[in-house]
Amino acid sequence: MSPLAETILRELHAEPRQFAELVDAHRDAKWRDFLRAWGEVRAADVLGRDEDGRYLIKSA
Amino acid sequence: MKKSFRDFLNELEKAGELRRVKKAVDLRDVSALVAQSREAAFFETLAEYPGWRLAGGLVSTRKRLALAMGSSENEVAMRFEASLDRPIEPILVGNAPCQEVVLEGEDADLTAIPYPLMHVRDGGPYISATCVVSKDPEYGRNVGSYRLMYRTPTETGIDLVSPSDMRLYYQRQLDRGKPLEIAVAIGVHPFEMLAASYKAPIDMDEYWIAGGLHGAPLALVKCRSVDLEVPADAELVLEGELLPIGWSADEGPFGEFSHITGDVKWNPIFRVKCITHRYQPIFYFLQMPWENDWLSAPVTEAAGLRALRNASIKPVAIKAPVGSCGYWTLIASIRKRPGEGKNALLALLSVAEVKLAIVTDDDINIHDPDDLDWALTFRVQANRDVIIVEGARGKHVDPSVRAWELGKGGLPTTAKLGIDATIPEGIPKKFYRRLEYYGRDRVKLEDYL
Repeated sequence: MSPLAETILRELHAEPRQFAELVDAHRDAKWRDFLRAWGEVRAADVLGRDEDGRYLIKSA
Repeated sequence: MKKSFRDFLNELEKAGELRRVKKAVDLRDVSALVAQSREAAFFETLAEYPGWRLAGGLVSTRKRLALAMGSSENEVAMRFEASLDRPIEPILVGNAPCQEVVLEGEDADLTAIPYPLMHVRDGGPYISATCVVSKDPEYGRNVGSYRLMYRTPTETGIDLVSPSDMRLYYQRQLDRGKPLEIAVAIGVHPFEMLAASYKAPIDMDEYWIAGGLHGAPLALVKCRSVDLEVPADAELVLEGELLPIGWSADEGPFGEFSHITGDVKWNPIFRVKCITHRYQPIFYFLQMPWENDWLSAPVTEAAGLRALRNASIKPVAIKAPVGSCGYWTLIASIRKRPGEGKNALLALLSVAEVKLAIVTDDDINIHDPDDLDWALTFRVQANRDVIIVEGARGKHVDPSVRAWELGKGGLPTTAKLGIDATIPEGIPKKFYRRLEYYGRDRVKLEDYL
């Protein structure tokens, strides 16, 4: 997993986030790199959603 | 002659309705920038995506829609409806601009296309301007418009919760445990978008309707990896399949055409196998909500006209107000015979998810809100002229149907309201004679100035 994907996972472990909040936190990353990293996070199959549409890490 | 997406951009520019932006733009910012532009926007340089251009907000006003249709603003619906009576069969071509570049295998990577982020609470970047084609062995080809949320370089979510022919096709494949092949054309003329939005009978091919709108056949080309055909002049095509997983993957929220941030929905996943595009492609994104609303309006209006004519009622004018997103309200004036005010309401309320219908006589200008209010005030008795239909088909994005209480893949119902604002039977027309100024045709104010 790329360092950016690992960072996103850590942020989601800390608290649920809207997708745009994750984007805001990584405005310095290239958009295409961010999308690839997000794809890695998605593929890890650990994401859930809360009632406001925020992404969160599913409990095991 | 059939016009292309690029022809429409040229028409907009000639009419002073297109603004070119030369400075390189970040895809995270394009939606907010288009929202600030009075004209349609054309970005000539995209950061990180050399060779790509991007256009948005093309039909965000009725004026620009009318320009696309080649008609006046009030005649858009009649123009669309007339084309339904003369569909034109598409032709198949061997070589196509949309396949000038072919990306297969590992190169079929969704991050290689300029996927924009649109709204604050969206579940991800979205492709919003799509013509999605699919086939069913029994019912044939279908073209619809469905949004795609980025998930991974090879997968997107797709909003398939509302009733549609493609939803039925998918369900039938799901019952067989098989995927449904689809192809997604992006960057096509508004006629293809309008045809895709029209709820045609299941055995009617929307490509034929688009041909009728153009007055010339669409040129289609066979896809590279699926047994489907797409418009040859599309800017970009995604080919692949809807996985047979049912309504089980999170999709949304998305800034909906109802002007509301929607909810998380449960939907299938689209897996991309091949991406093709033109040289120097132009990515088109539909700016929500206005562009979607203005594209919805003529489709809803044409369906209303058709429903009225099928009920042997003579419509004079029709309007799907943009305040109802061009979708949920229909107002029509008719040349009425006894009883037809109510018949017209029943016909209009049968259209898709229309939940408010108002019918007036043909002396009312339904495009003038004051004239419409006048008819509602003096021609309506609530105990006689209002009908309510409960338990009709609803749409998820309307919060009042409480779709969140449904299970995954569940379909909501709605109540529908009809108001007959025609002159009631039994009231002589003389009671509705408008006041007239004495001497109106004889004296002129300018003679006294």
